[in-house]
Amino acid sequence: TAAAPRPWRLFGAMCLLRLPRITQPLEKEEEEMAALMGQIELEKSHYSDHEIRKLEEEEQLRRRKESMYDDDDEAPGKTVIMAQDLEDKWEQKLLQFKAAPRITDADKNNDRTSLNRKLDSNLMLLVKQKLGNQELWLLPQVEWQPGETLRSTAERAMATFLGDHIQAKILGNAPYGIYKYKFPRAIRTEDNVGAKVFFFKAFLQSSDFSQAELKEDYLWVTKDELGDYLKSEYLKKVNRFLLD
Amino acid sequence: CSFSFFSSWLPQTVPFRGSHWQTSLLAFRASLPMRAQPMKKKKKVDVKREQAQKDRMKKKIKKLEKAAPEMIPIEDFITPLKYSESNRVRSLPPLSFEETERRVLLLKKWCLFKQKQDKAEKKAIQTLVEAQQEALKELRLESEELYQAAIRRDEGLFPFERDGPNYTPPLPGYDPPEGKCIDITKVYTQ
Repeated sequence: TAAAPRPWRLFGAMCLLRLPRITQPLEKEEEEMAALMGQIELEKSHYSDHEIRKLEEEEQLRRRKESMYDDDDEAPGKTVIMAQDLEDKWEQKLLQFKAAPRITDADKNNDRTSLNRKLDSNLMLLVKQKLGNQELWLLPQVEWQPGETLRSTAERAMATFLGDHIQAKILGNAPYGIYKYKFPRAIRTEDNVGAKVFFFKAFLQSSDFSQAELKEDYLWVTKDELGDYLKSEYLKKVNRFLLD
Repeated sequence: CSFSFFSSWLPQTVPFRGSHWQTSLLAFRASLPMRAQPMKKKKKVDVKREQAQKDRMKKKIKKLEKAAPEMIPIEDFITPLKYSESNRVRSLPPLSFEETERRVLLLKKWCLFKQKQDKAEKKAIQTLVEAQQEALKELRLESEELYQAAIRRDEGLFPFERDGPNYTPPLPGYDPPEGKCIDITKVYTQ
């Protein structure tokens, strides 16, 4: 540690990501390709047992109709289950099942504070914080205190805003990005030139938690929506370490 | 045993026999020797014979072990014969010229699409790494010990497990139908 006081104040910020729960919709080329692959697979395949059974039963039905068999002594009491009937039954069963919708209510209302929105992309936590005399939307950050590593600063930042019962997997000890800024001339002194904010990334593990613990305003936003809230310089640095 | 002739006649009055099975010198063996106990072999020969037997058994075992172990057949690579019957072949109309053209063009478009996607991914990873390097450089300028703490390996990170995304989100209160799974895979021992 240097003897001279460091002119930069250190902050640790946590970028908490909620990972996607459902798959993203396929692009046009991907859909066409998937269809083509299915077709080629069908062409190159052989008949399965079920299909052979179906073909034979169709043959039998046709022969019966043509030659007009006397059906009564053929199958008096026994009911033969045809492959076609089985398929119809399976189809019915599938239609009865109702899956959860991919576009949730929160999507329709554009409720940005809920975690159930945009299930196919990453959501990050933004918190409104007071810096100096400005209220800004930022990734949750807290000032570094001597005696702790930057990672623990970031963890503390997360705990301050979300409470202790958060299960998040922090990806490594090293910071992912840095945002350096100088204080406005009014506040700047010799040993307080500006601040460095180190960003850490974490994946949210617990799917739902009591969000009542959040005191300040918070938002869960995707990467595209970050531009609505963050300042341009800050946004540029944050976008560098975010994979869409 | 038969007559045994001695080369030298010893001056003895007692007529001794060649073996204790022969009752007299001139008589043949009259009957099978009937005794309560079986003939006792000498102990040295026993031990030797048993040793020899054990060695032979060990040699046989070694030979068996040296022979290459039989390979466990991989079930996936052996097509069962019933699937190569001719009635299984699908009968479809041959592809038209337009269809083949469409397929070729689609494959080319796919190739380009995938190349762009791959390049974009690599570029994103590159910016990620650069951003991290920049952050670490600034941190080093600030304080050496924080830097050392940052570049230390995170033991709790791996093994990292995550369930992949599904097509639809989980349905709350869904009761999956009951069923039992009976495993019929064949287990081979070597």
